[in-house]
Amino acid sequence: MAIAASAPVQRRRINQARFSPWLYLAPAILTLVVWIYWPLVDAFRLSFFQWNMLPTSPQTFVGWDNYQRIFALPKFWQALRNTGIYVLGLLPLAVLIPLALAIYTHDLSPRLRNIYRAIIFVPMIIAPVVAAAVWRWLLDPNYGMVNALIEWFGAEPVKFLSDPKVAIWTIIAITGWKLIGFSTLILSAANANINPALLEAARMDGASKWEIIRDIRLPLLSSSVLFLVMMTILLGAQWSFGYINVLTGGGPLGATTNIYYLLWDFGFSTMSVGWGSAAAVILFLGFGALAFVLFRLIDRYSFHDN
Amino acid sequence: MTTDAIKAQLTLARPLRRKAAEGIGLNSAAGHLVMVLLSIVCLFPVYWMVATSLRPANAIFETSLWPTTMSLENYTYALDSIPILRMLINTLVVSALTTVVQLLTGLLAAYAFARWRFRFDSLVYTAVALTWLVPFQVVMIPNYLLIAQMGLLDTISALILPNFASALAILLLAQAMRSFPKEVVEAARMDGAGSWRILWGVMVPNLRGTIASLAILIFISTWNEYFWPLLLTRTADNSVIQIGIQMFMTSEGNQWGPLMAASTLASLPVLVIYIVLQRQVIQSFMKSGIR
Repeated sequence: MAIAASAPVQRRRINQARFSPWLYLAPAILTLVVWIYWPLVDAFRLSFFQWNMLPTSPQTFVGWDNYQRIFALPKFWQALRNTGIYVLGLLPLAVLIPLALAIYTHDLSPRLRNIYRAIIFVPMIIAPVVAAAVWRWLLDPNYGMVNALIEWFGAEPVKFLSDPKVAIWTIIAITGWKLIGFSTLILSAANANINPALLEAARMDGASKWEIIRDIRLPLLSSSVLFLVMMTILLGAQWSFGYINVLTGGGPLGATTNIYYLLWDFGFSTMSVGWGSAAAVILFLGFGALAFVLFRLIDRYSFHDN
Repeated sequence: MTTDAIKAQLTLARPLRRKAAEGIGLNSAAGHLVMVLLSIVCLFPVYWMVATSLRPANAIFETSLWPTTMSLENYTYALDSIPILRMLINTLVVSALTTVVQLLTGLLAAYAFARWRFRFDSLVYTAVALTWLVPFQVVMIPNYLLIAQMGLLDTISALILPNFASALAILLLAQAMRSFPKEVVEAARMDGAGSWRILWGVMVPNLRGTIASLAILIFISTWNEYFWPLLLTRTADNSVIQIGIQMFMTSEGNQWGPLMAASTLASLPVLVIYIVLQRQVIQSFMKSGIR
């Protein structure tokens, strides 16, 4: 009788195990499919059409035309090159300087360290638009504080946002300003997690401070460093998007346009859905390939404590 | 080891240790200097924003570190020229709703991953994780068209809808639930609790810390969000505060005073959260990476 009673219970449990997970997953999956996966497919489809986004105007199939045109566009190559500059320019600010700071400041007293932590984290929580507004004010060629300081030292004021040679570095610096505290904290946390016994042992063996950094700290920090490098490469140009939009609009003369901004420009300034979608597909494929390679590299090259 | 050897080591170690201590003293002075400089770089722009916003209109271009005379002129001007209060309320509604809904869908989905093994489970998990890597700019045109088709352009709900679920919330919660002791869940099941009751009665109360830090993160990032609202909103009354700030920056010129006042108002809620919950805010950002 006990067996007879347990059989339906068992069956119910199996049925439950079959359907329940999907019920719990449904709201999340539905959202992600509707707002991310379906749009990806749709972007792919639209990249073969010519259309100006007006519901009344027809969508004309143009095959690979959009792609050909984009690859023939000097603006596209300029944006691609700038995307590279953004990433390379951000690496020192988002990884190298924070790494040096984290190692250099590891023996500060915990009390003061907490105060510094709290302060250098502030840019991270400030909204990108607010950051852009404030820097626009600080960098104003006529009345900005930064130029006041430069003139006080006797140098010529700099047109931070309207000089084509300078503008991209200004945007990179502002993006870096938002990130530098955050990266420093990530690396400080990793640095503080290093087993003190290892350092003590090395010190006993007569290793110099520099040798300890080179042979123990850096290898043990490598997974955090690789993580930050990957984030910077994958997302660096994306972080700068807000500042480009608010501060330069991609100009002067396209000097600050990157690939993300170009997408925006195609889609919503020129209202060319086909170009925008084709650029989106190119970006997505490139981004995916890069992410794949980076994840493989991290798997292979990161060291672990134990 | 003989006592002699230990003694020898101790005498050797003593001068060494003193030398190390001196090194640390000097180094930490330099370390403090570096950190103080970095702190100034990080904090000054925020300070300057508040300081400028408090100067009277005729003293906006003054460079004294402390405003010589203070006035709320910029704030009254900003409040008069655009519906800032309305925008702040809109932003609050959007951020609060997004936080609650994203936590809900996140908890449900995470529970499914943590509780059961089912067909395609790792495939679905990977598919969820991959959405985290899709740049917003890639899907923005189709998303915009969808919102337009639904007739939701220029509405508050359009700002919330696409953020009903996020990979970040699902993944973080699933991680937390997986490290939750299985015995506790098993014990609850023995007591006859169904999966729904185990989730809300056992899991959720025990994950308060993770949920709270995730809530902070979602709220702050939604509050700071700019591009989706920029695409969708047409009228100031249906906009969020980040769009309001932008209205004081025009190609004809900037109204620095009101611009700084609006920026200060937009940052105030986030800064208050930060000052009150500083440790949790830092932790939640660090746990989730950048984005």
